[in-house]
Amino acid sequence: MAEKRKYGKKYCKYTEMKIDFIDYKNTDLLKLSMSERGKIMPRRLTGNSKNAQEMVEKAIKRARHMALVPYIVDTKNVTDPAHIK
Amino acid sequence: MSKLKHYETMFILKPTLTEEETKAQIEIVKSNIEKNGGEIVSFDDMGTRQLAYEIEKNKRGYYFVIYFKAPANAILELERNYRINEQILRFIFIKYESKKEITAWTKMSDEAAKKAN
Repeated sequence: MAEKRKYGKKYCKYTEMKIDFIDYKNTDLLKLSMSERGKIMPRRLTGNSKNAQEMVEKAIKRARHMALVPYIVDTKNVTDPAHIK
Repeated sequence: MSKLKHYETMFILKPTLTEEETKAQIEIVKSNIEKNGGEIVSFDDMGTRQLAYEIEKNKRGYYFVIYFKAPANAILELERNYRINEQILRFIFIKYESKKEITAWTKMSDEAAKKAN
């Protein structure tokens, strides 16, 4: 008696888009695997493939170092959110 | 003669510099790469943009990317030069080694060259 799935089947967005290298400068791609607070989402939640997850992890860490994406989004600083350019 | 490898470097300049000063700083970096046996393939001027977090009390920064080929032992010297320069807030060097990475590198540098023209 398999329970009915509550959500649709997870799939890797990067494989679907046929991306074989994730660049750290392309922040739109990175945001697919980041939570609202700027954390890296686990594979069990996003459904990323192992290969894509490894690439995206590396890219996010590089982008964080270069201040392209935040390490953490501070909710106390609501007046000056980091994601607004 | 050591073999040239594919690299990419990005650095953030202080936003307080004037236009001429930023140009001068970029020229210094470029000439440093060439002095150490590297050849610049293309560059991407991303302009000033908001930083995701403050660095040395700066909220904005001038981003510049250079795609270049250089021998492996030159990188250490280039890094040393970046650290001396007080106008540079952050920098990064990325090596592209595998076949897949190198194709990505050529694609990105071609795009950057197209954008510059």
